[in-house]
Amino acid sequence: MRRITRRLSRPTTLAVLAGAALWVWAAHSLWSTTVPGSLHLPDVEPTRFFSDSFLERTASYSRFLEILALLATLTLLGVLAVYARRGHRLMRESAAGRVGTGMLLGMLGFAVVWLAEVPFGLIAVWWQRRYDISHQSYVAWVFESFFALGSTFLFVSVALAIAMGLAGVLRRWWWAVAAPLFVGLSLLFTFVSPYFVPNAAPLRDPVLLAEARAVERIEGLSDTKLVVQNVHRFTTAPNAEAAGFGPTRTVVLWDTLLDDEFSSAEIRVVVAHELAHLAHNDPLKFVGWLALFLVPATALIARLTRSRGGLARPEAVPVALFVLVALQLLATPLLNVVSRHEEAAADWTALTVTRDPAAERGSCVDWQPPA
Amino acid sequence: MNERPVRLRISDDLMRGHGSVFFRVWFALPFLLWLGLWATAAFFVAIANWGLTLVLGYSPARLHRFFERFVRYTTHVYAYLNLGAEPLPSFNGKPGYPIDLDIDPPARQNRWTVAFRFILVIPAMLLVTALVGSGSSAYGFASAQVGLASAGLVGTAAMLGWFVGVLRGRMPRGLRDLVAYGLSYGAQAWAYLLLLTGSYPSSDPLTAIGPLAVRNDPVQLEARDELRRSRLTVFFRLLLAIPHLFWLSLWGIAALLAAIANWVATLVAGISPRPLHRFLAAYLRYQLHVGAYLYLVGNPFPGFAGDERSYPIELRVAGRERQNRWTVLFRLLLALPALLVAAAYGSLLFVVALLGWFAGLVTGRMPLGLRNAGALALRYTAQAYGYIFLVTGSYPYSGPCLAPARPPTTTEAATSPPPVA
Repeated sequence: MRRITRRLSRPTTLAVLAGAALWVWAAHSLWSTTVPGSLHLPDVEPTRFFSDSFLERTASYSRFLEILALLATLTLLGVLAVYARRGHRLMRESAAGRVGTGMLLGMLGFAVVWLAEVPFGLIAVWWQRRYDISHQSYVAWVFESFFALGSTFLFVSVALAIAMGLAGVLRRWWWAVAAPLFVGLSLLFTFVSPYFVPNAAPLRDPVLLAEARAVERIEGLSDTKLVVQNVHRFTTAPNAEAAGFGPTRTVVLWDTLLDDEFSSAEIRVVVAHELAHLAHNDPLKFVGWLALFLVPATALIARLTRSRGGLARPEAVPVALFVLVALQLLATPLLNVVSRHEEAAADWTALTVTRDPAAERGSCVDWQPPA
Repeated sequence: MNERPVRLRISDDLMRGHGSVFFRVWFALPFLLWLGLWATAAFFVAIANWGLTLVLGYSPARLHRFFERFVRYTTHVYAYLNLGAEPLPSFNGKPGYPIDLDIDPPARQNRWTVAFRFILVIPAMLLVTALVGSGSSAYGFASAQVGLASAGLVGTAAMLGWFVGVLRGRMPRGLRDLVAYGLSYGAQAWAYLLLLTGSYPSSDPLTAIGPLAVRNDPVQLEARDELRRSRLTVFFRLLLAIPHLFWLSLWGIAALLAAIANWVATLVAGISPRPLHRFLAAYLRYQLHVGAYLYLVGNPFPGFAGDERSYPIELRVAGRERQNRWTVLFRLLLALPALLVAAAYGSLLFVVALLGWFAGLVTGRMPLGLRNAGALALRYTAQAYGYIFLVTGSYPYSGPCLAPARPPTTTEAATSPPPVA
């Protein structure tokens, strides 16, 4: 008992406990919602809305992708585990210094992962084409994902340059500065992200625009940008998203949503839903959740890379990659819960604003892939 | 030294007649017309020669002589047209022209390479397109269709040489050697296609035109690269270079501002201020390191600081020197021809990277000829930027050349093979 008391009274333990308490408090604050606690949703019986054949087809579609995702995840972990053990051998391919070599190893880690994941990606494209979800050709997918790797490389390089640069100065405590810095950068990216939505143009439909402005006023927002993203060349799936905060608040509607399949009332519900995300500051909350993930994650990376000399050394980078990706995978279910929670709140707000449950239900029914 | 079965020999004295240069295209017309007729005949004979070589294992002596003359005549005409030589060539393709070819007698050739010669020659013809222009390659029409049509390095050198020749009655040696380098490679590629030889053309500029000029330029390139390439980094090379390209573009903004400041300061003082010279020299070095990495001329991932002696493909930049204020004042205007040549070298670099990418992936090595051709292009680009940024007052030297021997440092002697360029 005395031993436990002595341990608890250590400054490090106290700091960890204080940090944990702060983490719980912050998580609780981010979890707060506008959905009334007394609201009890009835169980929905899908067969009331969809045909058996449709549900069967949907289940078959999802099951295959879930198995594929599981296999891809196992491959990802396997490849990164091998890379964590042997990746440091690639240091001979670098004439850059400590940080530059670390950046190279970071990029090569993702390059190896990409090579291992290409077959899964192609199978997923094949499956989506089979269900008429995607129109993309296999070659186009390979090229697109290859070049998308470029932005990953740039992101990884910048992140490693910051982390390794700090590790060179602060040694074991680099994460204490790096985590807030990454959160700050993430805040910046969230703020500017609406400017980087490709193939987007302002919403021109005057009727929908007027309806959206009316909903916006009810939700307590103003000057939200409404844009339409041209995606019908790649997919038939409808979608919408909310991005940015403050003056960059934007609702992005896919052009596949605006075709004849959805009624104007259904589209209005979707717009109200996305505006609700902005009214609830969900993009900012996402940064908050990211901060709650990053602080312990970077601390753990700092701890687990000590065997390779700490993150100041390039040979520690493959280990850091493995730990980061493993932690990301572990956090995914939690983030999914958070995401569902925010979606439910946005649905509730959209419902209270539009007062059109039929349209809300219709938008959910029409949201499914064609049977 | 020169073991190639097709060798270029130069006995040109660089002197040119003003009028002869001015009317060069018109004077060349009959020769081009004759070349067209000869090429039509050569096309049909080449098919017969291909069949016979496939059966016999070597090209029959008469046909070999026919194509030897054809390739030699083509070289003479192109040398004349592109101001590589002064006198009118003869119509019969006999030896004796100032830019001439020595071609080995027929030798046994591998029948497999003969059978697929037209396919095997594609990479070489891509290089010919970059060097001599799209009209001179076997795939000229096809390359023009895909937008690769260009004057090539030789055409660019000829265009600039035309102005100098008309004004001064001389062809600068750098431009002449550049024309000769392009013609040498073109002749090798045509000789390979027409089965004069079974040796694949070499793009190495160091062995293409006989003895090279030895120059002590203020901006020099040194290649100590071992030619080994990592297949993984070769495959992802373009993407791996992205952080460097990003950093280079940021650094480029600062370099541009520094260059403007350097221009004003050098105009006033007659010499570049030490801090600006050092900063711009580091930028040039970094630019070269990134270019070498991106275009597969070098293997390792470069550092981000442009440090001296940090990369196997290295730029040696001499200390600052006093510069003529008039050339400083009009530096941008004076640099225009150099920028044209640098742009043409850019096409060569692209082809080098493309071919080097495949070669690197398949063999895990960069062919020496391609590496040295890429190094030549990078050296010229670095010299051109050094001139524009007033790091040096020396005009870039457009041809292949050698740097004077430099004793290696203790570290280099212990760790590196001897320099090759």
